[in-house]
Amino acid sequence: MNLASGSWGFERAQPAGERLYPSQRRMHMERQLEFSTRSDRDAVIVDVAGQIDLGTSPALRKSLLESLNGTQRLAINLQAVKYIDSSGIASLLEVLQEARKSTKRVILFGVTGSVLKVLQLTRLTGVFEIRETELQALDA
Amino acid sequence: MASRLRLTLPSDPCFLSVVRVAVGELGAIYGLSDEERIEITLAVDEALANVIRHAYKSCYDREIEFECFVDGEQMEFTLLDQGEAPDPEKICGKPMDDCSLSGRGTHLIKAIMDEMSYEKVSGGNQLKLVKRLPGAKAGNPESDAGKH
Repeated sequence: MNLASGSWGFERAQPAGERLYPSQRRMHMERQLEFSTRSDRDAVIVDVAGQIDLGTSPALRKSLLESLNGTQRLAINLQAVKYIDSSGIASLLEVLQEARKSTKRVILFGVTGSVLKVLQLTRLTGVFEIRETELQALDA
Repeated sequence: MASRLRLTLPSDPCFLSVVRVAVGELGAIYGLSDEERIEITLAVDEALANVIRHAYKSCYDREIEFECFVDGEQMEFTLLDQGEAPDPEKICGKPMDDCSLSGRGTHLIKAIMDEMSYEKVSGGNQLKLVKRLPGAKAGNPESDAGKH
């Protein structure tokens, strides 16, 4: 791959002021991040997969807060998360803060790779409850 | 061998992943470890997100000019926007042990990058981030092939 000099811009296929159509954006976001919810014992488990960034973190935040409403213990599976930025961390923090208001628990598990790295850089590994596996999260 | 990559991208979060892939791959070409690639990708992504949120107030129809220049010594990332200039007090970054919900992006950038500078230029607001390459004096993508 010759990168000696390369530049490109995204050509406007639409008039100025219009970029991606809302449906295009929604489809792209859904490809970038997926999450699903299930229950086990007294916990609600949210399985998250993909990339959490400025574009996708609002939807995740909304889903996590809704899931928290229905349980005393929310376990968030981050094993399949390939990327998280500070907006994603902020979403997790907001859910944690909401949980603490009503003595609920939020437990992260499957925290590896770039997710662990970002939690370490932001010195939040001691703020969240973190377990290695789902079983440990449910037994915590 | 020096390389220069330029992108003009919409201020739409959908396009952040495009830059992340480009930066990650450039890091691999120039011999960064997996951990270093994660870090520089994060720092650049945070900088772009700050432009979208703060300079452009989350308007998705503006433009950001992004450039990465790599020589044997360092990777230099330049972001240029035509939005609102940053508040100097706000670009100091939050303390890392604060549980507040915002302000971590700048602190992450400063923790990861070797240099970070802002300048008002004729074209707008310019942010420069510099990451020095490991083994800078020997930096050559061909000789580093196979390290990653």
